[in-house]
Amino acid sequence: MLATVLYEDGDHRWTMFARDPGKPDGIIDTNQYLIQSGDEAILLDPGGIELFAPMLTSVLKYVPAEGITKLFASHQDPDIISSLGLWDQALPNADLYSPWLWESFIRHFGMNNITYKAIPDEGMTITLGRIQLQFIPAHYLHSSGNFHVWDAKAGILMSGDVGAALEEPGAPLWVDSMERHGPKMKKFHQRWMPSDAAKHDWIRRVSALDIKIMAPQHGRLFKPPHVADFLRWFDQLPVGVAIKG
Amino acid sequence: MAAPVFIIAASVSAELHQAMIEARGLALTAKNARALAVRAGSKTVGFRAITDFIEELASAIISQSRVINHHAEKLSTQAVTAWHSDNAMAQFRWVEAQKPEYLASISPHINQCDKQLNALNHELQIGLRDLIGQIDESYKHIRTANLIATSSHVEAATAGDFREQLEVIADNIRKTADRIAAHLNRANSLLSQNHRERKIAC
Ligand SMILES: [Fe+2]
Ligand SMILES: [Fe+2]
Repeated sequence: MLATVLYEDGDHRWTMFARDPGKPDGIIDTNQYLIQSGDEAILLDPGGIELFAPMLTSVLKYVPAEGITKLFASHQDPDIISSLGLWDQALPNADLYSPWLWESFIRHFGMNNITYKAIPDEGMTITLGRIQLQFIPAHYLHSSGNFHVWDAKAGILMSGDVGAALEEPGAPLWVDSMERHGPKMKKFHQRWMPSDAAKHDWIRRVSALDIKIMAPQHGRLFKPPHVADFLRWFDQLPVGVAIKG
Repeated sequence: MAAPVFIIAASVSAELHQAMIEARGLALTAKNARALAVRAGSKTVGFRAITDFIEELASAIISQSRVINHHAEKLSTQAVTAWHSDNAMAQFRWVEAQKPEYLASISPHINQCDKQLNALNHELQIGLRDLIGQIDESYKHIRTANLIATSSHVEAATAGDFREQLEVIADNIRKTADRIAAHLNRANSLLSQNHRERKIAC
């Protein structure tokens, strides 16, 4: 599992884990994120069941098990949180922050020890060590109950499936041109995202943030000026295209 | 490779469910036999007494099959839990082999998972042994059914005009007993296959 430190300021650190070389074929590549501050850490979208062992190994290189006090699942998809049953054994004292809408579904992945912290529709702010993290509503993008994570101090927005691209293995980490990257995201956003209204609402709200890094759950990450380029690109992209006539 | 225990136990549960359905057929046979005996009057007094036995036997098989079925289903669920723990342990072993910096911090949870797996496997062993015992116990009902079928044939011989119909009923009892025995045999061989392999969690 490739680990990349995206941000570091004292004990405040963002690490991205991705591009596992042992990942079986036919499984979508995912980006997992670990945020640390003080003696606490949160794991964002911990990933699928097949990724558990490499993820746990990677995370334990940075933080002891008792330091991972929180998990976050942006929505209910298997590539996000089907590993829950195993994390449940590894981190029995952790809290899982996830949309209230999906609680009774996500529990199907197996949860006997971890505590489910339901995020209300309007989102919420939590404290992690010495920093604050905001769970920003991103409903219907694509999941009907869905949140992104905003770290105002680091200026990093974890944007879940928004901004996701299905890349060939070995692709660079950063978007270098929206012109070249747009086509790689187009089908994914048009087919997975169901609602133009939801899309416009989200764009309006995140446009107010001073985003230094936009970090999706699949594919490359965005830095200015590509963040604004992405928002413009997304704004004019018709979504929900499976509805015909 | 032996089938996983959760599949074996679920298959045993299904066999016992079939046995229970057969036993319901047997109860129906008993009702028909009683109706016939009433119509035949004094010539079939012996047969009428036998119908009581058949009814009792059918309800005994039904309730025992239900108990075993339930037990096997519970075992299957436990075996799935054990399988999950076994899977988790395999993942933890892999993580241990990588020797990450903070490996020691996860050790208590790995030990806890291992302990839980051992306890589950132990419980499964006991559950499987009980299940085999319960199925063995059920064979005595089959022997009783065959005895009843034989007596029914004897009684049918003296039933005059009703002889043929009563013989059909006696045959029915034997055939049903054979079918129930076949389900028990299949359940038994599923379990003994597992016993030989002595492989519980996976
Ligand atoms: Fe998704
Ligand atoms: Fe995804």
